[in-house]
Amino acid sequence: MEQLTWTGTLGPVLNPLIMAAAAVFALGVVAQFLLSLVPSGNVRVGSMLAQNKGPADYAGMAVKYSFGVILLAIIAFMVGGILLPGPEAKGIIGAMSARLLPVWVGMIVIFAASIMYKRKLGLYGKLFDSPIGMVGFALVLFWVLTALFADMIVTHDPLSQIAAMKNKVPGTPMPADTEGYGWYLLGGDNLARDVFSRMIAGSTIVMQIAPLATLFAFMVGITLGLPAGYYGGALDTFLSFLANLILAFPVILLFYLLVTPEIVETGLPSYMAAVLFLFPIVFLVVLFNSRYYVQPAKQRLFVGGTILIGGYLYLSMISQPGTPLHFFPDGLDLFNIPGGILIVFVSVVFVNSPTVFRIVRGLALDIQTRDYVAAAQTRGEGPWYIMLWEILPNARGPLIVDFCLRIGYTTILLGTLGFFGLGLPPESPDWGSTINDGRKLLSIYPHPAIAPALALMSLVLGLNLLADGLREESLKD
Amino acid sequence: MAADTYDGPILEIENLSISFFTRLREIPAVMDFSCTVMPGEAMGLVGESGCGKSTVALGVMQDLGVNGRIVSGSIKFKGRDLNEMTLDELRDIRGREIAMIYQEPMASLNPAMKIGKQLAEVPMIHEGVSKEEAMARALEVVTDVKLPDPKRMLDSFPHQLSGGQQQRIVIAMALMSKPSLLILDEPTTALDVTVEAAVVDLVKELGEKYGTSMLFISHNLGLVLETCDRLCVMYSGEAVETGSIKDVFDKMQHPYTQALFRSIPLPGADKNSRPLKAIPGNFPLPHERPPGCNFGPRCDYFEEGRCNKGEIPMVEVPHGDRHGTRCLKWEEIDWDAPLVVDQTHEKKEPGDVVLKMEDLKKYYEVNANALFGGGDAKVVKANETLSFEARESETLAIVGESGCGKSTFAKVLMGLETATEGKILLYNQDIQDTPIQKRQTDTVSSVQMVFQNPFDTLNPSMTVGRQIIRALEIFGEGANDAEREQKMLSLLDLVKLPRAFAERMPRQLSGGQKQRVGIARAFAGGAKIVVADEPVSALDVSVQAAVTDLLMEIQRENKTTLLFISHDLSIVRYLSDRVMVMYLGHVVELGTTDQVFAPPYHPYTEALLSAVPIADTSVEKQHIVLEGDIPSAMNPPPGCPFQTRCRWKSDVPGGLCEKEVPPVKKLSNGHQIKCHLADDILERMEPVIKIAAE
Repeated sequence: MEQLTWTGTLGPVLNPLIMAAAAVFALGVVAQFLLSLVPSGNVRVGSMLAQNKGPADYAGMAVKYSFGVILLAIIAFMVGGILLPGPEAKGIIGAMSARLLPVWVGMIVIFAASIMYKRKLGLYGKLFDSPIGMVGFALVLFWVLTALFADMIVTHDPLSQIAAMKNKVPGTPMPADTEGYGWYLLGGDNLARDVFSRMIAGSTIVMQIAPLATLFAFMVGITLGLPAGYYGGALDTFLSFLANLILAFPVILLFYLLVTPEIVETGLPSYMAAVLFLFPIVFLVVLFNSRYYVQPAKQRLFVGGTILIGGYLYLSMISQPGTPLHFFPDGLDLFNIPGGILIVFVSVVFVNSPTVFRIVRGLALDIQTRDYVAAAQTRGEGPWYIMLWEILPNARGPLIVDFCLRIGYTTILLGTLGFFGLGLPPESPDWGSTINDGRKLLSIYPHPAIAPALALMSLVLGLNLLADGLREESLKD
Repeated sequence: MAADTYDGPILEIENLSISFFTRLREIPAVMDFSCTVMPGEAMGLVGESGCGKSTVALGVMQDLGVNGRIVSGSIKFKGRDLNEMTLDELRDIRGREIAMIYQEPMASLNPAMKIGKQLAEVPMIHEGVSKEEAMARALEVVTDVKLPDPKRMLDSFPHQLSGGQQQRIVIAMALMSKPSLLILDEPTTALDVTVEAAVVDLVKELGEKYGTSMLFISHNLGLVLETCDRLCVMYSGEAVETGSIKDVFDKMQHPYTQALFRSIPLPGADKNSRPLKAIPGNFPLPHERPPGCNFGPRCDYFEEGRCNKGEIPMVEVPHGDRHGTRCLKWEEIDWDAPLVVDQTHEKKEPGDVVLKMEDLKKYYEVNANALFGGGDAKVVKANETLSFEARESETLAIVGESGCGKSTFAKVLMGLETATEGKILLYNQDIQDTPIQKRQTDTVSSVQMVFQNPFDTLNPSMTVGRQIIRALEIFGEGANDAEREQKMLSLLDLVKLPRAFAERMPRQLSGGQKQRVGIARAFAGGAKIVVADEPVSALDVSVQAAVTDLLMEIQRENKTTLLFISHDLSIVRYLSDRVMVMYLGHVVELGTTDQVFAPPYHPYTEALLSAVPIADTSVEKQHIVLEGDIPSAMNPPPGCPFQTRCRWKSDVPGGLCEKEVPPVKKLSNGHQIKCHLADDILERMEPVIKIAAE
């Protein structure tokens, strides 16, 4: 078996094309910029006349079409990778595209269905009216599906080491006597593990932790922010002061404190987790109770259900062997969260909830002046019904946008934590840890760090674009 | 300059069409609009919201934004086509030759700049005069707009002035460079009635003094009658009738104009004997206009195959002063035919007393520093010794301007606040100290409220049906979901909305429809007392009548007591049985509608009556303009609350007005006035509104 090229058999045809298109693109951008400095003659206000095409417009067209050509060539590589036989013909890009086949299928199905029914899907459907939102959603969906299908996509076990592959460049074939997939598609890292497989496996970890941790931060922020904004007064002053205090505290120092053995021994992280994980249950119980207290049958169903299921999950979550909070017998304990992940949760909630708190408080202050809130008050609704059913749903626009952005921040934070060696175990393939590992030999072997870095970048970019698209579309009607 | 010797029409708009372009379609906002404004003439543009009147103004300013475009037609200002000017030429004209005054004064002033500097900028930019000269001119103009202490005004920031003062500054700014054309886009909508009257007065006076032509945009026909020489009625993007005020008001030649006048409460309309006639149907959306005449589907004179066939041109009506109408059948319609009244109602006698207030007081304490409690506590007296009673199936109107305490009163009645002193008796039960959470469900459901702003009254993220069902759940109506569902549908029937609306979201409804849902929700628990807080003031004229009618009808059926809060005296006169006038927390006058609207008046009622514009040329009004603004409730004047603006003050001997709060004076038949004026002076008062003999 031989070394793979990046582009395989399609390369000799498409590479020159891409180079040419890229050159035109670069020239076009420069030309457009220069021409925009010279004012064109026919700038007029009463826009009744059709504007003549000037040189700047032609430069703009060149930029547009050359960019289109580049995109088409990249798609050709991907499609070629799926259709052509054998990794040698596919090239590295093609081979990766072939491994990601389940992801492509999933994306096509979801996109086709969503576009077909977009008028019936509310805000999510409107997203498909905005090109920015669609690109963002595609990027996010790509990583979500990759995380789902990770087991089918990876070429090797992300932890297994093959000594001969240490620090090998992308496309290096495996030694002759090994089984399984014949190449390290994105090369090997410092410990001779497959970079491609680790990146894919890392996406699963990121996708599990980041949205969930952000959700917890939102629960805390919302449950505290709503009463602060709604009641105002001393409660608001106190909670806002607390939020500012946390925001003013250097968070990295806080993280270090949380993992210090002396502090872990006191059980502080466990107690903090016990408090934090209580919020979602309180939130749901109040949510259902405030609405259904007038219908006792439904009240019993929803509130009872939440307390039973949520309570069991909560207890098994906080009961942890080796910590002061270990009270569940092993048989009853559903799952244990490794200490590292607990720290991730606690720190994410700590960093994000004050900001969420402020957003929610501000929105509540604004929305509570509306007449429908007054209408609810005058028919005798309780304060929590007004907060959770009258105010919160109407604050959803900014909150959804912020949620998307915050998942991005959390992903980065996860990387930051991993980078400091906090949180997840050192061999974990999550992106932050892998970037940190790759950093040491960055000047000689950049590829082990670049792959997860690009992955992280594209996910955060996707989330940002998605948030932009959502914001844009939620403002329209 | 050549322009100074120009003596043709100031503004000539010919066949103007303006469209807005969205991703989906082109939306025509104005179609085939023509009008001419001569020097010194004031032209009124009247129409409901969405009819394109503001778009015309923006078109004149050439400020349509990225999506708007002039599709055809020309706008000539002093003979020069604005469409063909370059940006530089336009910049020269804007602010100097054409000035614009917007609705919201606070939004038109830069909050970070002193008034004087903002005013001085205008001549400094346009005429290049020195700063000293510009400031001198600013002082002169501020004196012209009758602001007290002009020097101090120039040295203050916008937030230090009241709304009325701010609007005067905006007018001053517009006049700084002595423009030839002034565009006023609903300049007084955000102001109180008495302040509005003063501002309108000022605009009229200044227009005469400076010889400025005006384009006055308003939805209020009465206001246009008072300010303009000519008017143009717009409907759904088209001018439907244009002419001099006298021609259009007295010899109208378009069915829409006629319908509009029949739907507004003019003196003489009465809820029982001569009810208002609402225009049926809804305003068409810009992209769903009917073929042919836009007003066709709502018109009484509609003729199939003629009115909905092809474009309808504007035709000149003979014997008028440039009077035009966009109607094919104007020659056939008998314009003098009397209004056919659909149905009249028996006047219902009010029943037992259901609600009684005795010396109700509500004070708020405002600390200078809320967090640490330092500083002097100030007391805001929002309600002072409020006493009245309301009977079953009676309409009691509560009239007053902002800050008069009517909202506080509503809050105390609803239980959102508790009273400081005094009593509220609901069916002989004390409720003044019970906050709403502690009230019995049937107490809560029997006192309900209809809110002012239709766009705010419904929760935008819940379906209409769900919101009504929620009210039913809370009031304990219906045993199960199915029963409540049925009850909800019958409530929709009650407010004359199609049952299919239950599944709709509020944003899919028009303003009037939302207000109907709000009414349905208020009546969910069989309300006995409904507080209606300006329920129609935010609606368009043609919808107002329909919603008012609905409220009256439900009231007749359910024997509801209606507490109707409003500042619009025309509608109060039309629908209420008794009227209570409030000023700065005090009830200054209370009596039956006839008593309050006829002398003797309280001086404030007198001014209020004079301030309300009435769209009827046969009405003669006494001209009373109040000086200054409403004092702040934080710092009320000593003695009589109204003494700072009262024109009768000199008739009370011994400066009593400044020393003592006047006692309640009982006149005949339960009519009461809080005033120091002696009986013989009250006797001598003349009626403010006189209807000239026809």
